[in-house]
Amino acid sequence: MTERNRRNFIKATGVGLLGGLAGCTRGGSSGSGGGDGSSGGNGSSGDSTESSSGSDGDLAIPLEEYQSADIDWRQFEGSQINIGAVQHPWVSAIKPAVPVFEELTGIDVVWNILPEQQFRTKRQTDVSTGAGQFDIFYMDQVVNQFREEGWIQPLDPYFDDSSLYDEEWYQPDDLFEASKWQAHGGGYSDSWTGIPITVEVQTQFYRTDLYEKHDLEVAETLEQFRQNAQTIHENESDVVGTVGRGQKGYGMNIYILNTFLREYGAELWTEFPNDSGLDTDGVIEAAEWYTSLLQDYGPEGASTQTWSDVLATMQEGRAGHIVADANLFWPGLTGEDSQVGEDIGIAKAPRPADGTFSPNAFNWQISTSKNASNSEQAFLFMLWASSEPTNTWMHLDNGAAFSVRQSVWENDEFRSRVGDNFAQVTLESLQEAAPDPFDRKYPEWGQRYSEELQRAIAGQKSAEAAMTRAAEVAEDIYSG
Amino acid sequence: MSTPTQTESANRTTLARLRDLWNDYLPYWFMAPMVLVMVMITFFPGAYDLYLSLIAEPTFNVFEAEFVGLSNFETAFTRGGAFHSFVITITVVVSALALETALGFVLAALVAGVDSGRMKGFYRVLFIIPMAVAPVSLATIGRIMLNSEIGVIPYVIETATPFAAPAFLSDVPLLTVILLDTWNWTPFMFIIFYAGLSSVPDTLVEASRVDGAPLWRRYVHVIIPYMKPVVFVATLIRLIDLFRTFGVVYGLTNGGPGTATQLVSINIYEQMFINNQLGVAAAIAIVYLVLVVALCNIIIAKVGFEGVWD
Repeated sequence: MTERNRRNFIKATGVGLLGGLAGCTRGGSSGSGGGDGSSGGNGSSGDSTESSSGSDGDLAIPLEEYQSADIDWRQFEGSQINIGAVQHPWVSAIKPAVPVFEELTGIDVVWNILPEQQFRTKRQTDVSTGAGQFDIFYMDQVVNQFREEGWIQPLDPYFDDSSLYDEEWYQPDDLFEASKWQAHGGGYSDSWTGIPITVEVQTQFYRTDLYEKHDLEVAETLEQFRQNAQTIHENESDVVGTVGRGQKGYGMNIYILNTFLREYGAELWTEFPNDSGLDTDGVIEAAEWYTSLLQDYGPEGASTQTWSDVLATMQEGRAGHIVADANLFWPGLTGEDSQVGEDIGIAKAPRPADGTFSPNAFNWQISTSKNASNSEQAFLFMLWASSEPTNTWMHLDNGAAFSVRQSVWENDEFRSRVGDNFAQVTLESLQEAAPDPFDRKYPEWGQRYSEELQRAIAGQKSAEAAMTRAAEVAEDIYSG
Repeated sequence: MSTPTQTESANRTTLARLRDLWNDYLPYWFMAPMVLVMVMITFFPGAYDLYLSLIAEPTFNVFEAEFVGLSNFETAFTRGGAFHSFVITITVVVSALALETALGFVLAALVAGVDSGRMKGFYRVLFIIPMAVAPVSLATIGRIMLNSEIGVIPYVIETATPFAAPAFLSDVPLLTVILLDTWNWTPFMFIIFYAGLSSVPDTLVEASRVDGAPLWRRYVHVIIPYMKPVVFVATLIRLIDLFRTFGVVYGLTNGGPGTATQLVSINIYEQMFINNQLGVAAAIAIVYLVLVVALCNIIIAKVGFEGVWD
């Protein structure tokens, strides 16, 4: 590679890493970023505990948007809620609108924003000791562990309370099915465990200039994707055919592989909790496809690539494709940090020729604990934050691109801002998304499953041996 | 009802008893604050860790937890990967310690042999710089510099030699970790050894020179024996510190690929904060604590007092 490319890449990698540390979050991952793919954003910096009250000036959103709801917004006037959150684009996108909630309800909002790992520790301590400091907190892959421990409060009683909820105004059917499903413990709970606030879905990114140069068509199938990767890998110097997450962690390599195993007809836990399904033909085929793709046409050391490495490699123009990653990469790839911003295309994730399109999706949600003293106020905040007016404002006026509401993705003004193709690909992918079902011990067996996959990508063992071992470990964890 | 005189007498008796109590146990009162501090910072965490290793998980309601005996220890060594991580840790500790000791001594000897005072200062600063790099920065810089596609180190290897550079973090991760730690911590050994060399009396060195001993003999028979306490203390401190290695390796490889660089410290972290296996993490920590303390005590007892300070 040239010196200029090297310098540029190092610069982009540094920017990516810093961006990741600042704003990208998702658990169970690596040292150089625990994130999934939510690039950019204006993540709040540093630890902070601050109240939103006291801001002056006009409200961001007219109160009439909410006062039309048959909800007694002011029944808790004079109280206060504490929100525990990670440094995340959602926080920076919604914060300017929080005075609207405070004006609407008379409830003060206090933010407790922490780096992700510190937040996880504090959250677990808060709920398990019964401290109840947080009335609302960010919730992720540990939702079913928290639920089964009795730490999370189901929201159904609040949805049933006519003074707190107006279905006609809230329009729950506007929420993506995948988001609602994940808010119900990923299929493990009949009750609402929280309200989804952000969603991301897997898509593929490709270099339009290289596609034109080599007369390639956008891949719809995994076979076409591999062929395209091979063509670019073999005909371009200093550009690898593809790049994808190889690093272990439940937000890393298996976040990608889980899409493909579903598309090959397999599923996680074919018989919960006795048969993990990880040693079925579909999983092994998916793992073989993914590992061989990265080994043959990926960068050297693909097994250690984190999401930020993937993003940086693509930003620098050093890869032909990204294998199915989060749509939230889009701003980072097409923005000013990218060396190839004009030449990035987005398309739906590929699937096997005889398989089913089933991209992975991930939602952050906000929940309340059984020990929280202001859960009803917290529920009002959750409704307000995930409502259509608030979501529309965040996405039209404050740079967000992670809405759990279909209406936002269909909004012409929003589509004009983010690009019609990006919005349409994301919308269609989200409508058919199938998130991971995070069972109670997912963090533990997911970590081991990801370690085995990393071994396979590194060439330490075959994909079949790795997945067979992953199945043994997962089942052993539940039998133990 | 007691009279004022009786009350006064009783008070005097109480004061006298307190004074006696103070005088009789004077040495213990002086030690009490230290004992209290030790209990708070050493024995309580250790005892609490032991308690956590014996209860069911996952839970933080520890006082209502179910007692499970040695079950967490069994889990730690079956599916918890404890044995593997102990092997990895020992490999890293022994290799890095040997390299850092040897390199640190060689560098110290070379700088000590430089005649120019200005150049000596220059080399001292130059060799100390790596130690000033924070672990998270080192890991981040390491990931970039070692990256097979854009890293400067593979680039230099491939430009300067006819060999293809390995994918450091996936093909030779353990070696990479050891070398990076060596780069980071050799300066520590260098500083101590340099100070030790400076303390060797010139008369001894001069006498051996007059006797006609070549340079290597002067080091083997005069300088190194004189420096034995310095070498011992430096290696012991570094040994203990190596057992605590975490940040650089976690940031660099995340303990992988797979578990190829999963040190005990990383394993404990993952069990605790990723798997939420509090008891298993505590069990591994207990075993680790016992092993490290035992090893250090054996070294101090056998090598320290008999070989160095006798």
